[in-house]
Amino acid sequence: MAQRLVKPKTNLGPGFWPVTAFIVVLSLVMAYFIETSAEPIGLKAAGDPAGSIDALFRFLGVVAAAIFNAVVIYTVYFGIVFRMPKNAPPNTIGVQIHDAPVLEFWWTAIPTILVVILAIYSTKIWVDLQNTQGDVLTVEAIGYQFGFAFRYPKLKEPVVNELHLQLNEPTTIHITSRDVLHGFWLPEFRQKADMVPGLVNTIRITPNAVGEFRIICSEFCGAAHGRMIGKVVVQNQQDFARWFSKQGGTQGRTGGGIAISAGKADAGQKLFGEKCSACHSVGAFEQKQVGPGLGKLFNDPAHPKLVNGTDVTPQDVARLIHDGFQGDMGVMPSAQVNALSNADIANLVAYLAGLSKK
Amino acid sequence: MATLAPGVQTGPYHAVLDHIHPEPTSFIRKYIFSIDHKIIGIQYMITGAVFFIISGLLAEIIRTQLLTPNGLLVRPDTYNSIYSMHGSSMVWFVVIPLLTGAFGNFVMPLQIGARDVAFPWLNLVAFWIFPVAGVILFSSFLVGAPDAGWTEYPPISLMGPPGTNLWCIAVFMIGISSTMTGINFLVTILKMRAPGMTLTRMPLFVWAQFATTPLSFIATTALGGALAALFIERVFGVPFYDPKRGGSPLLWQHMFWFYSHPAVYIMIIPGFGIISEVLPTFARKPIFGYKMIAFSSVAIALLSFSVWAHHMFTSGMVPWLQLPFMIITMLIAIPTGVKIFSWMATLWGGAIRWKTPALYAAGFIITFTYGGLTGFFLAAVPLDYHEHGTYFVVAHLHYVLYGGSIMSLFAGAYYWWPKMSGRMYNETLGRIQFWMVFIGFNCTFTPLHWLGLLGMPRRVPNYDPSYQFWNVFASVSSYVMALGTLLFFYILVDSFRNGKKAGPNPWGARTLEWMIASPPPYYNFKKIPAVLAAPYDFGNPLPYIGLDAADGAVEATPTHSSHPVPTH
Ligand code: HEC
Ligand code: HEM
Ligand SMILES: [Cu+2]
Ligand SMILES: [Cu+2]
Repeated sequence: MAQRLVKPKTNLGPGFWPVTAFIVVLSLVMAYFIETSAEPIGLKAAGDPAGSIDALFRFLGVVAAAIFNAVVIYTVYFGIVFRMPKNAPPNTIGVQIHDAPVLEFWWTAIPTILVVILAIYSTKIWVDLQNTQGDVLTVEAIGYQFGFAFRYPKLKEPVVNELHLQLNEPTTIHITSRDVLHGFWLPEFRQKADMVPGLVNTIRITPNAVGEFRIICSEFCGAAHGRMIGKVVVQNQQDFARWFSKQGGTQGRTGGGIAISAGKADAGQKLFGEKCSACHSVGAFEQKQVGPGLGKLFNDPAHPKLVNGTDVTPQDVARLIHDGFQGDMGVMPSAQVNALSNADIANLVAYLAGLSKK
Repeated sequence: MATLAPGVQTGPYHAVLDHIHPEPTSFIRKYIFSIDHKIIGIQYMITGAVFFIISGLLAEIIRTQLLTPNGLLVRPDTYNSIYSMHGSSMVWFVVIPLLTGAFGNFVMPLQIGARDVAFPWLNLVAFWIFPVAGVILFSSFLVGAPDAGWTEYPPISLMGPPGTNLWCIAVFMIGISSTMTGINFLVTILKMRAPGMTLTRMPLFVWAQFATTPLSFIATTALGGALAALFIERVFGVPFYDPKRGGSPLLWQHMFWFYSHPAVYIMIIPGFGIISEVLPTFARKPIFGYKMIAFSSVAIALLSFSVWAHHMFTSGMVPWLQLPFMIITMLIAIPTGVKIFSWMATLWGGAIRWKTPALYAAGFIITFTYGGLTGFFLAAVPLDYHEHGTYFVVAHLHYVLYGGSIMSLFAGAYYWWPKMSGRMYNETLGRIQFWMVFIGFNCTFTPLHWLGLLGMPRRVPNYDPSYQFWNVFASVSSYVMALGTLLFFYILVDSFRNGKKAGPNPWGARTLEWMIASPPPYYNFKKIPAVLAAPYDFGNPLPYIGLDAADGAVEATPTHSSHPVPTH
């Protein structure tokens, strides 16, 4: 069973240099189109930091396209040039080469350098994002099954599924969830953060185009996840102010639609024993169990605000009990979790108000 | 072992092991509860193929649902269960068992010149856990299948249907099975190589299995813990993950990805191994850069333990932590790139026969490179903010898992089919099958990249009408891919009926499994051969001595008189 060794040509192959030139030219042409395209990912941008993220995408795109061109074209080319000729004896073998240290050095070194450059560039953009200022307007975004609620500092009522922003105003959005995970994705701003119950994530954006843009839930959250969408409405100063005061017009009307004056303290006391005393004492704020003591809630100079930062008015307390809250101490469950009706909340507020008078 | 030629280094093989058990005669002991690694390998293969077909059907339901913006076929909650089961099954019941359990079991002991794995009974148990766990997983459809994706993030998974408990049990069981296999293979490779087979003479498929073993038994532990906690919370209410009761949903994510990132390498490194066997055989050349390929697998395996949080860039963690995770993730691209270049260099200067396994290997190079590059786009944190949770991730993971793992499985299946069955398959049909899968695959998954970038989130049963064109395009292409898969099974059936006898070594390959009859005899090697050199020098005489003609050995002794091409 002797083998006859037939050596194929050991050169790079007949068309190697033309093919290499083709790869270079193709990659350069692609680089040109990627670098000069206004919307490299095919999506318009509505504000910062979309610009710097698009720039990173272009940069990666240029490098990736060149690598991909080289891999595909050389693979196909070698495959064609070095295929076994039809009439070759069946024991024909290829060039018996095991390695080429110089070549291997370079094809390790060059990708390493590329990776370092890309890592540095990505880090630079990342640092820019961390340092962007966004404090002129602060909004809280709260995800729930299946919508987004937005709270503005000077608005009593949350706005549902519509995030109104002011043109060119740096905005910080604090993001959390009331129930399960959601994703808060603003594709036109290239920003996203998960809405995690018990955790506040932050993104900062500055809108620079008037119009309506999408908010998309990007983390599976239940049967209607695919329908959980909202919109960003970017308005100029006057429109935003008009909208804002219109929302503000509802200020102080009720505690989230709860008729507080109808509350009965004795019914509240019973409820408190059933649903609240596991976590709250009726002592001073400092007599903590899971949450703070509530005995002096309405009359405690050391704690002029509620833990969620709002004033200690009956409406605010009602809203806190209704919405729940997550702070340093832990989770204050929402009315939904505690199975409280609006009437129950009114009773509880009446009871707590009574305690503070003693 | 007195027959060793002078100068042969003695491996860790012990003469004590040098006895042959009689072949069992009862059907049950031979084919059902067999301890023969070859039978077990084939059992894994058949079971894995069944799950592959089922999960593939689920995938086609997904693609059919997405033909219309409002969802064509099923209710949203049903849809959620379908993709969750599709993903879970493909990862844990198809790709991992096929790459390690099936090919690892069938091929690896043959390649190291062993008669079986180190712990044949453990192997039997590991296998039988697999179908049982699979039945448990799929029986969750009877009580409400899990619906929160294969990642089952709490809190939503805490509220999921009762089948989620079965999911925990099934995945936990398959984790135990994979741990057993990992330990078994590690010991086998370290302790049972034929004399003379030093580590750097091992075939690269063996190296790949070797690099995978620590991933199987270290990372899987984290998954086991996470699953146990999820199960306990769901069933007994101990709050590990529920934030309302003091638990942490991110704890699950950390534990899950501490397993699942290494797991993606459990799903690809053995595939690297298959490609590294197929290419030299069909290019009739030594693999280029043997040591670089072997060691880069180990490097990738080790690095893969320190990148898990790249799945959590948007989840919420200390911001500065994102940087090390990003940088280490990017570093993995280097050893991966080195492998790809080495495979291309193996094609260079070859005398390539474009049989189906070789086509799949070349296809693998292209699609896997694409998947690696999109991985880079995901690793860059600022870009991941945009891409996370979208169809871009879906496209990436299918490029690496279908274009990588499944393509390598097809390559391996065609390559070793003659060894397993003793018969050749129809080459023309094989090539057609390759092109159907290759074209169908690329047309299915390429459009998903830009759908994701444009704003289509993953795990949705409905979408914005403006995405319809590319969704229909993807769905129709996926039908081509499905037909290609059916054709594959037809080719196997056809090979049984009409295939030519393969003979011991139809490809002219040089690793040990090709030196004995197809299918190999029960004991593999009557006499354990001694190994003189690495396997891939096509110009040299075969580097084995002491093969026994009774095993169907290709050549009992080297008889080459031609001048060997010098190796250096
Ligand atoms: C699971 C434990 C738990 C239960 C049950 C619970 N709370 Fe709370 N509550 C908390 C925690 C924890 C806080 C503090 C949140 C923080 O700031 O971290 C809190 C805060 C509050 C506050 C704000 C206190 C302040 O000084 O600002 C009020 C009011 C309150 N809870 C009322 C109630 C009422 C009424 C009930 C019964 C319906 C109730 N809570 C049930 C845990 C609980
Ligand atoms: C160069 C190599 C790779 C890099 C840089 C890379 C990077 C990433 C990153 C950053 C993500 C997270 C994306 C996100 O959710 O936002 C991801 C997701 C994923 N990757 Fe890779 N990856 C690489 C190779 C692979 C390989 C080889 C496999 C498997 C064979 C793989 C399988 C996956 C899977 C399954 C997911 C999605 C998990 C999920 O959320 O369901 N990746 N990859
Ligand atoms: Cu959602
Ligand atoms: Cu990963």
